[in-house]
Amino acid sequence: MSGGAEVVVGAVAYTANVVPIWEGIKEYFAGSPAPMDFVLFSNYERQVDALVAGHIDIAWNTNVAWVRASRRTDGAARPLAMRDTDLAFQTFMIARAGAGIDGLESCKGRRVALGSRDSGQARILPLHFLQREGIEASDVELVIFDSDVGKHGDTGRSDLDALRAVLDDQADVAAVGGNTWQALLAAGDETVAALTVAWESEPYNHCNFTAMPSLSDERAEAWVSHLLDMDWDNPDHRPILEMEGLREWKRPELSGYDSLIEAMAAQGIADGW
Amino acid sequence: MSLDLTLRLIEAVNATPAGSTTLVDVDGPADVAIANRWTAATGNSLLVVHPHAVEIMRGRMVDPIGALPENRRPGYRLWVYTNFHCNLACDYCCVSSSPRAARRVISVEETAALVRDAADTGVRELYITGGEPFMLLDLDERLHAATSALPTTVLTNGMLWQGERLRRLDALPRDRLTLQVSLDSATPELHDRHRGAGSFDRALAGVRLALDLGFRVRVAATLGHDAGNSESELGSLFDGLGLDDDQRVVRRVARQGEANAGLTVTRASLVPEVCVTADGVWWHPVAATDPSMMVADAWSPLDAAVEAIRDEYRRHRLRSDILASTFPCA
Repeated sequence: MSGGAEVVVGAVAYTANVVPIWEGIKEYFAGSPAPMDFVLFSNYERQVDALVAGHIDIAWNTNVAWVRASRRTDGAARPLAMRDTDLAFQTFMIARAGAGIDGLESCKGRRVALGSRDSGQARILPLHFLQREGIEASDVELVIFDSDVGKHGDTGRSDLDALRAVLDDQADVAAVGGNTWQALLAAGDETVAALTVAWESEPYNHCNFTAMPSLSDERAEAWVSHLLDMDWDNPDHRPILEMEGLREWKRPELSGYDSLIEAMAAQGIADGW
Repeated sequence: MSLDLTLRLIEAVNATPAGSTTLVDVDGPADVAIANRWTAATGNSLLVVHPHAVEIMRGRMVDPIGALPENRRPGYRLWVYTNFHCNLACDYCCVSSSPRAARRVISVEETAALVRDAADTGVRELYITGGEPFMLLDLDERLHAATSALPTTVLTNGMLWQGERLRRLDALPRDRLTLQVSLDSATPELHDRHRGAGSFDRALAGVRLALDLGFRVRVAATLGHDAGNSESELGSLFDGLGLDDDQRVVRRVARQGEANAGLTVTRASLVPEVCVTADGVWWHPVAATDPSMMVADAWSPLDAAVEAIRDEYRRHRLRSDILASTFPCA
């Protein structure tokens, strides 16, 4: 599709809301120097396949999908832009207050609830962070929730399952993405008084728009420039930004993917399913 | 427990498409407070509190008032019934005015205070009506107070401008006052059938007098079930009087007051226009004696009444949007 009149962007339909989000973004680009259309995929693996095969110009990828695309193209795939929130994503280890879990070291020998196997924030990175502290999977009792495989944790389903396991005393600590923890905090501090943050990771990168070399620098720059012009204070742009969970689009900074690249290599996570 | 509720809120809203609603079970006011806080902080909207559940819409609610043209937004326009008695007894009068109707007068002093409050509340234009407002000999004092605060239109049958009333009319300002005269048909028959013999000729004479005196005049026709296609004839009459499009109003009769047929109006179906009478505040001037359309039994504080009407209008619109989106086909 590359070289056509419209830039074709792929996205994964992890919720029905993906449709209004991308209809809104498409409308925003109409009449711009780089008009676009979008294609929805049911999972990130299909999307990366389509990107590598040249069926789409740009893919809105999770961090795991980005690493896979980069690996499969020997680094030729390049990130174009990210959300401000993608530059400072975090994993939180949440325990019951008073359970005596404080820091990763204290997770040893405890029941650790983790999310889907393809979720960077809820599974791959938490295991990596534990291992970095010298805690192997065999040192803890893993309680696994592969609830939304293919969506890379986007649905938040496995985060919530892990948290419920803690509340139901099926686990002692749960790894959840920062977006899930923020959604809980939104109900007020007293609501989460029964829980405590046992540990929080350093910020790392999450999603990005990934392009193949077949998309020329000129077309890519025209598209990215217009994307970056989206304005939180513009009432026409605001609903799209709110639904997609950002205040501002940013140019990418790659160093925030280092921990995930390392984790996926160490855990032998394949480039496909 | 509040944490469980928050998890259920997240789960339910995550599974809900933007603009659609979901029900989440709650147990008492504390849960409702949590749901309120959570929806506000996460960019979602708590629409309705049911006895054991809250109804939440994913995403922010678009204010239906903002979608209205500015001059149709509740609170832009304020209607004031200065009185309810009238020299006519029209058979479709929406508030049952007649020579026998209780007067229910808003005094000059009350009118002055009301228009000051209206201006402070953000009202942009006043409509004075009745009954026949010019039945009040001192109406001009109310109109001086009104026009000194806001652009004002007074609704009248145009039949009483003689003697002292004519002298007082002529002393009114021309730049901030519009005289809206009722004229229901292009020929006497239909108008007089509903309003009384001879009333057409006198109303038309009133229109011409007001124009001759240099007033801005608007002519308003109310069409009953027997009006047929008299609109085109009215158009010719209005053309002959030299009236522009914005000086003409034609509407169908509402089933209110004396009218036993006509458009059915309810709070849920009618964009409100805040209306004050001696008895209180009403949803719309077309229904200013219908108990179901009463909003408050006193007009002060006016800003609270206006805000209550706006809130209720938002709820009605939202409810109708939800019903429209959930109407089952099978």
